[in-house]
Amino acid sequence: MTVEAPARAVRLVGPRAELAGLVGGRADVGPAFLRAIGRLDARWSDEEIEAWAGGALALAHANLGGRCLDTFFRLAGRLPHQSAAALAGDARGAAEIGRRAGAKAALAALEAVPAAALRLPGHRDRACWWAGLARLAREAPDCVVLIAGQTVAALAAADGAAFESFVAAGLKAGGRSRERLRAFFSLEDPAARRMLERAGGAVGFQDLERPLRLFGLALWGSPPRLIALDGVGAAPASQRVSIVGGLIRMPHVYRGAPARETPALYRAALAHAMAHRAFSGDPRAVGRLRPLQIAMTGLVEDARVEALAMRRFPGLRSLWAPWHVARPGDAMTAAMLMARLSRALFDPDYDDPDGFVAKGRDLFSRAADRLEDLTLSRAIGGLLGHDLGQMRLRFDAKSYAVEPLYRDDNMALWDFDEPPDATAEEIEQAVEAARPTPKDSDDGRSEGEPQEQRSGRAREAAPDDRGVAIASYPEWDRAAGVERQGWTTVRDAPAAVGDPRALDEALDRLGGFRERIARLVRGARVGRAPRLKRQPEGFDLDLDAAIDAAIALRTGELPDERIYRASGVRARDVATVVLVDVSESTRERVGASSVLDIEKLAVAALASAMDALGDAFAVRAFASCGREDVRLIRVKDFGDRLDAAAMGRLAGLSSGLSTRLGAALRHAGAELGPIRSQRKLVLALTDGEPSDIDVADPLDLVEDARRATLSLRAQGVDVFGVTLGAAGSYGVFGRANTMPARRLEDLPDRLSELYFRLARL
Amino acid sequence: MALSPAAGRLSAHEIADEPYYRAVGDEVEIFAASYACRLPVMLKGPTGCGKTRFVEHMAWRLGRPLVTVAAHEDLTAADLAGRFLLAPEGTVWHDGPLTTAVREGAICYLDEIVEARQDTTVVIHPLTDARRALPLEKKGELVAAHPDFQLTISYNPGYQSAVKDLKESTKQRFVAIEFDYPEPSVEAEIVAREAGAEPELARSLVEVGLRSRNLRGRGLAEGASTRMLIHAAKLVGGGAALDAAIRAAIVLPITDEPDMREALGAAIAATLPQALRLQ
Repeated sequence: MTVEAPARAVRLVGPRAELAGLVGGRADVGPAFLRAIGRLDARWSDEEIEAWAGGALALAHANLGGRCLDTFFRLAGRLPHQSAAALAGDARGAAEIGRRAGAKAALAALEAVPAAALRLPGHRDRACWWAGLARLAREAPDCVVLIAGQTVAALAAADGAAFESFVAAGLKAGGRSRERLRAFFSLEDPAARRMLERAGGAVGFQDLERPLRLFGLALWGSPPRLIALDGVGAAPASQRVSIVGGLIRMPHVYRGAPARETPALYRAALAHAMAHRAFSGDPRAVGRLRPLQIAMTGLVEDARVEALAMRRFPGLRSLWAPWHVARPGDAMTAAMLMARLSRALFDPDYDDPDGFVAKGRDLFSRAADRLEDLTLSRAIGGLLGHDLGQMRLRFDAKSYAVEPLYRDDNMALWDFDEPPDATAEEIEQAVEAARPTPKDSDDGRSEGEPQEQRSGRAREAAPDDRGVAIASYPEWDRAAGVERQGWTTVRDAPAAVGDPRALDEALDRLGGFRERIARLVRGARVGRAPRLKRQPEGFDLDLDAAIDAAIALRTGELPDERIYRASGVRARDVATVVLVDVSESTRERVGASSVLDIEKLAVAALASAMDALGDAFAVRAFASCGREDVRLIRVKDFGDRLDAAAMGRLAGLSSGLSTRLGAALRHAGAELGPIRSQRKLVLALTDGEPSDIDVADPLDLVEDARRATLSLRAQGVDVFGVTLGAAGSYGVFGRANTMPARRLEDLPDRLSELYFRLARL
Repeated sequence: MALSPAAGRLSAHEIADEPYYRAVGDEVEIFAASYACRLPVMLKGPTGCGKTRFVEHMAWRLGRPLVTVAAHEDLTAADLAGRFLLAPEGTVWHDGPLTTAVREGAICYLDEIVEARQDTTVVIHPLTDARRALPLEKKGELVAAHPDFQLTISYNPGYQSAVKDLKESTKQRFVAIEFDYPEPSVEAEIVAREAGAEPELARSLVEVGLRSRNLRGRGLAEGASTRMLIHAAKLVGGGAALDAAIRAAIVLPITDEPDMREALGAAIAATLPQALRLQ
């Protein structure tokens, strides 16, 4: 035993002694251990050291090699204010990770501890961080190194618990794809960054998008086009609004802004951007302007458009004023002086002793009667830029950020022939971002390009994608005139997840459509108990009936005794399965969008109406690839709410394969079987005749679907078909139960209308 | 304008004092011309933009009594035309408001006609074409319209939905006059006049109204009506602070949705001059 003899008595049993025996003599880690124990002796009590040593022992027993132990022992020196429990927790956490993901991962995690300790000094918080890493080590071992390398970024806004949920979300988002997981945990995936930025409970753009849109619309009369601003690569996203081609790109979060003030900050930013849109005109050529003059022109332009906007909307002043906080006495740098000038131009009550600021204010106020002049800011900005240049204050164009926070980066003011290096990438990205944003009549895809879901996961015909066989159904053999038992196999196919917000936006674009649906819902729900006249009993006399009866009496006729009024009570009791055809033919394009896009839109509208009514319904998408493989995708089940996940599955549907309608109808009927409901409906959206790869004569399947419809009807299930496009026929559902939607644009309206007609009680 | 002597039954419906109405287009001339040939008139427009006031004004101007019926979803043909009632001596026929107007030569104004059941609106068909008569089926009488009788209906296309719409056969019988919220300067004049408000306050309230009307059909079923703006101005006149008055008279009544309230509130705050809010 080579136990060092410290100043105080050392227990000869216990973790410390055991640890000393285990590593004290090793050449690779011994010295570090002795240095650590020497430091800790001076700092901690015996109990604390025992606790620390207990953790270290666990790490040593994990056999992860000398470098891990060495790194751990060095922590004692690097983190002098950490508690024994916290450091012991680090050792145990690293041991656990080592067991699951190997020594390299454990080492990376230990090396990240100083960064983590800075953000999460308490041992409980840090235990959460370790728990997140441990889960990652179990489920995606190769990602531990990646996220450990990004600890500073990962914990910038998140606490331990938020980190844990970040890991959980990442594992879910990545699914089985290693590439996606790696992209997520190396933070190359913008979604990962977004999640981290909002992890600390910050209120972000996503939370405020709708109110902001409404705010802009109310103020200026036309809806602003808003989009979130992503960072480029691993760089954090900018903290300034950026306007590109009419598109206002806003930061996901304003880091550090208190949650309470965030909505006002976003509104201030939007109002400023809209002021540019209204008053700034077209981009100007940069010409030979120097960076300082460009910045200065932008500053004056900001003041000019704000002054004009405040003439129209005086209350904007109180929206912007709180963010102008520059004042004299701050350090004398070009950026500070410019912030003060911004304030001076904005706030007439602000007092600034600086001559430069006074000159700027004077120039600007003398131009007050010609603020509409688009060349004004360049003239004043050029002069002031020259002056500031003469003051020999350093102006760093690369680090310059427009002040105050709510203003935009002013890139949209300029027409850069060749974008300056610093912004080239950003502008490119902006253009990229501008591209997929839907215009009113365009879904953003170029014509003829094969449509892929934005999630990039088109449904493939791969064997493992067929899903689990859940039922088999008979099929009608037209030639033989018999029903072949167990002929088709229905499989539960996995659903791809798309972006529900695209659907939401598309619904919004349908102009007034939501309101129409909402009215129908109100009409159906409030339902106004119908007044029943001429009842044998009721709460009130039916005046007309009573008078008729009295007249009858006097004329000697036999009066009708039903002279009361009553209110009928009606409760909605409908269960519906909506079947959506997603076969290859729905890929066909109608104008700018595909048949499937319109189907999704119609189903989304109908589903939200049914959900609002509280009606029971399920949504299934179907496509088939031969009789053994009829796939049903469960977009929404009975009993589930229509939440974002369900909308995501709806948005994620993609076209492919064939239409074996009969099997899908039978399955829908089987699903409705156990549901207790007075009225049962199947609504099938299909764009043509049934067909499948293993059936030569399409009439076979038409006949089969017709028989399926009839058998459902015999069970008390009403089947209605909405056939899309001109090719619709009445063969399957019968004339009375088919609603052809010849103009596809009408589909959302017609589908909902049909439902309300059918489900009226 | 002097009233021509109307029958005693309608004296309560005569309009003695001129109701304030600020013409914004040729609606007065069109209505007068329609009345001259007794053509039925349909007033279309959003709620609270002055349709009812216009009819009152025209009735006063033309010197005719005005019989107003607010339609509701339980309004039956009998409610309009009349019904038998029981009296000690037996059954007696009692004219409904429409029949009274037809007999006595009044202007009959059916407010928000789409609210009534569709079978009810068919009653007015014979009155709106060359026949100009009202058949009382139950009584077995055909009432020929008084030469001064005229029918006016109002109709808000904003509420139009699959469920509620006028029949084509009804629509096509009417001369239509479209109403909308007036130009801002005119609307400010109206608000100032009706609520006795300062012109500056009225102008600001009209700006507020414009903000809410921008959201019409995109979250709001209707924007704030002129009537709402007048209410807000009256609240201010009654001592309420401007912010509170706007909230009570405009924001809270038109929307229940938190996002919308927040956005509308912020847009309104951005519209109002600071000085006015602090008064």
